Amino acid sequence: MEEIQYVNEHLWPGRIGNFALMLSFCASILSAVSYYIHTNSKTEKKWDKIGRSSFFVHGISAFVLIACIFYVMYHKMFEYRYVIEHASDDLPMKYILSAFWEGQEGSFLLWVFWHVILGFVFIRQKSKFEAPVMCIISVIQMVILTMVLGVYVGVGEWVYKVGSNPILLLRDTIDLPLFTNAEYVSLLQGNGLNLLLQNYWMTIHPPTLFLGFASTAFPFALAVAGLWTKEHKAWLAPALKWSLFSGAILGIGILMGGAWAYEALTFGGYWAWDPVENTSLVPWLILVAGIHTNLVSKSTGYSIRSTYMFYLLCFLLIIYSTFLTRSGILGETSVHAFTEMGLELQLVFFVGLFTLIALYNFIKNYKGIPAPPKEEAFLSREFWMFIGSLVLLFSGALISFSSSLPVFNKIIQFFDPEYVGRVIKDPIPHYNKYQIWIAVFIALLSGIGIFLRYGTPKKNLKPLFVHIGRSTLISIALVILFEQWLGLYVWQYRVLMFASAFTVVSNIDYLISFLKGNLKMGASVLSHVGFGLMIIGVLASGLNQEVISSNRFAMTGIMEDQKLGSSITLYSKMPMFMNGYWVTYSSDTLENHIRTYTLDFRKVDENNKTLEEFTLYPNVMYEKDFSKVAANNPDTRHYINRDIFIQVSGLPPSKRDIELAHAQEDTLNYIPYEVAVGDTFETERSFAILNSIDYLPGHRDYDSEENDLGVGLNFSFREKKGDSTYNAQPALGLSGNLIYQYPDKMNRLNTKIRIKEAFFEEMYTAEENLNYEGHILKQGDQIKFNDYSLTLKEFDRNPEDPNYQKEDGDIPVAAILEVEHEGRLKELKPIYVLRKNRPFSVKAYDPELGIHIRFSNIFPKDESFEIKVAKDNRVFDKVPVEIAENVPATDYIAMEAKIFPGINLFWLGSSLMMFGLALGFIRRRKLKS
Amino acid sequence: MKKSHIIGIAMIIISAIILITAVGDMSTYATLEAAKKSGDRVKIAGVLAKNKPMEYNPEKDPNWFSFYLTDTENKTEKVILLKPKPQDFERSEQVILTGSYENGIFVADEVLTKCPSKYKDEEIALRKKSSNQSRQ
Repeated sequence: MEEIQYVNEHLWPGRIGNFALMLSFCASILSAVSYYIHTNSKTEKKWDKIGRSSFFVHGISAFVLIACIFYVMYHKMFEYRYVIEHASDDLPMKYILSAFWEGQEGSFLLWVFWHVILGFVFIRQKSKFEAPVMCIISVIQMVILTMVLGVYVGVGEWVYKVGSNPILLLRDTIDLPLFTNAEYVSLLQGNGLNLLLQNYWMTIHPPTLFLGFASTAFPFALAVAGLWTKEHKAWLAPALKWSLFSGAILGIGILMGGAWAYEALTFGGYWAWDPVENTSLVPWLILVAGIHTNLVSKSTGYSIRSTYMFYLLCFLLIIYSTFLTRSGILGETSVHAFTEMGLELQLVFFVGLFTLIALYNFIKNYKGIPAPPKEEAFLSREFWMFIGSLVLLFSGALISFSSSLPVFNKIIQFFDPEYVGRVIKDPIPHYNKYQIWIAVFIALLSGIGIFLRYGTPKKNLKPLFVHIGRSTLISIALVILFEQWLGLYVWQYRVLMFASAFTVVSNIDYLISFLKGNLKMGASVLSHVGFGLMIIGVLASGLNQEVISSNRFAMTGIMEDQKLGSSITLYSKMPMFMNGYWVTYSSDTLENHIRTYTLDFRKVDENNKTLEEFTLYPNVMYEKDFSKVAANNPDTRHYINRDIFIQVSGLPPSKRDIELAHAQEDTLNYIPYEVAVGDTFETERSFAILNSIDYLPGHRDYDSEENDLGVGLNFSFREKKGDSTYNAQPALGLSGNLIYQYPDKMNRLNTKIRIKEAFFEEMYTAEENLNYEGHILKQGDQIKFNDYSLTLKEFDRNPEDPNYQKEDGDIPVAAILEVEHEGRLKELKPIYVLRKNRPFSVKAYDPELGIHIRFSNIFPKDESFEIKVAKDNRVFDKVPVEIAENVPATDYIAMEAKIFPGINLFWLGSSLMMFGLALGFIRRRKLKS
Repeated sequence: MKKSHIIGIAMIIISAIILITAVGDMSTYATLEAAKKSGDRVKIAGVLAKNKPMEYNPEKDPNWFSFYLTDTENKTEKVILLKPKPQDFERSEQVILTGSYENGIFVADEVLTKCPSKYKDEEIALRKKSSNQSRQ
């Protein structure tokens, strides 16, 4: 076959990118091997240099690869597969980052990127664990890079594709008839970024989460290093620093996901126990458990084995979560997993390899891990912290078990193809009912444990009981207070509320009594207070969500047991009362492909007195071709003690789909009418009257900037039954040579009216059909033209007119003429211009009077002037209009409005928790060991 | 025996109890037939019967949507969803409903729809010739 010379392809970014990819991959292998030899060899201590330089080469080439992908995305080079899949011509630059990590390949590279950055930081720290840790990190990098290699490995008949390469040309990945066209590149158009993902959360959430993921590799690698080198104590201090950092970042990443779900998506909350959410929460729980045992082991020598176990497990769970979300195995149980792309085997290998590494090292060295012979004392801090960690492990195990149901199904089906997979019927109650007890335990343990000290307890336990007793009493009071504000409904929630209040109170007590308010020492206190506040926030906002958008009177008789829906129908401009609010859907505007609704809320008391007024702007986003609604973005009004959350949950069919709208328009039965001003005429459903003709149309969509000329009609329609009167203002507009119709619709009357385009020509006469009549006159003269009378008043040497653009060297002059017609008086200014010694004129026209005036000549000799006048041939006496009745209404929406009370406690508490972790990290960062 | 061992064993026992009781929270996807017989709250997986009418009139009630569902046993029946009609419902590949039979009709209050992934290898979007613009 003849080689085709393709036009407009950019091959060099692909070549550089692929070279960088290969180099990065090979360097990671070399780095791993060198560091491995260095760690194991007792004599040869030079291999770390090779390891270090290879890791450096690996990192830099990974950056080059990422830069190449960005380059082709930024320049929208659609000949590259990854670009055509994730970018498009109209993708705003600010979403290039989001488009980059929308795909699996990009997000793997984001992960690689963070490992490189963190690896550089680790190398700079000159830790004695550099070689074993960087060996593990290099192996991780190598495995992740296989996901983007895109090479084929074959043994005989069997061929396996390793990874999916993001820097390949489209024509190298698939075979299309299109590629016989040498100019195919110019025909390509990108698929673009999913509209749901086009917001700033998509820019900030993934990098934070992946930094969290990447940072868990370091406690893992340090744990392996500790086992490997049998330095069972030295690794604890650096591991604590890394895991505090990781805990804070991963936690923030998870919270951002919750905030995204709550703020911008319509999941109706911040946490839904979705498998994807769960599998990032579980490693965090295990990490936090590890931080606790790590603190214990550093201070007392207890719990070193559990610290090993937790840190090893945490990273394994991160890879497991990667497997779950990227293999497609979650299928229908999750709303936001990646779609599968043939990486399943590699992901299983990823999980398997590191499980083996962890297990091998842990089991082999288990016996050698030091542990004090005597057990922890019951009233010692280390014992309570250890129990707390076990509870966290327990929580993680329960969540993992339920989230892994699809995996179990797959495994059982492998052995028994007949097996029908199981699913959790209602995930939220399922998880909640166990996790509330976990939360109770954690809160109580952290509330009491903080008052205990490491090692042997004090003899005098009285102060301990005083503190606990005091906190108990205050917490009971807080539970009662909370119930004055919101409900707790059942005893289980009262217990949870008590426990959460208890940890808040006793930790604050500890901060005041023992730390004397020194926040710097109180990182753990802050985290525990945060945890308590967060749970209180969950109880407040989760249990006490209140639906505003239900109207008991409007919704009765639909279902037997009255499951009141949470959406309500709102008609344009018709205020609707719902649970203490008057809500009016006052308008909507369409800009680009986003329709924004203006909803006015007025809160009233029992006497209908206005308490508060505000406006919210939820929107719906259409696909580019308006074929469907791609996303609806809610709007939220924030208060200190609650949020009001609203979204547009339903639209009329014709507002959902442009095709449907056209189809609907086609089915309308327009009946023609010819009416004169002042005429009353009868339609099927109304009596109508044409009140007046408008030369500046009042139609809401008519824009005098867009149109050169327009005409509108003012109609009143009186409904035959019901006796209401409605106004309609249909219009016609002329822009360039095109006449546009502006039909008007009376939704309540189900009637639509439009003016026939032919009327425009009856109204306004085109220039070529005008009969100009010339007149010579002097300043002050008056002339007659048909039944118009014109007076030349004066001149204007600086005339302004939308149809005249002044150029350098122009000499313009406008004649100011007073025109009188049928008792109406108007001033018109035709312009005479000398441009490069050539004269031309700019016409003055008044649509109401129907008169055209040109200032065509100046005779300086006798100071006289030539004016040419013409008038529109208005022959009509009736206006042709068309009216359709029984038109479906399109001016309504279904809206959902909810109150989330106390949600700020959730955000405050959870942020405080992460802040506490971060503070712990910052405090230890400077410490040498 | 150490205290931590006792606690550890207690936790294992509790997890076992929890997991046994949690079996009640799990079920296989039911079929219309089975759901009708038992009357239990179940999850049904099926596909939208595209040639049958869908009824959604937010003017009347935005929380009421009815359509025909074909379940895994190839049985098609009218079902009711007490929620606004999900976006892009017509294009769904699979519909999963949570609900139960009430007065002889399956009434769901939770829905999950699975849509075909945005990108398929065969679908390469080509530039269209710019189409005429229209206002309105």
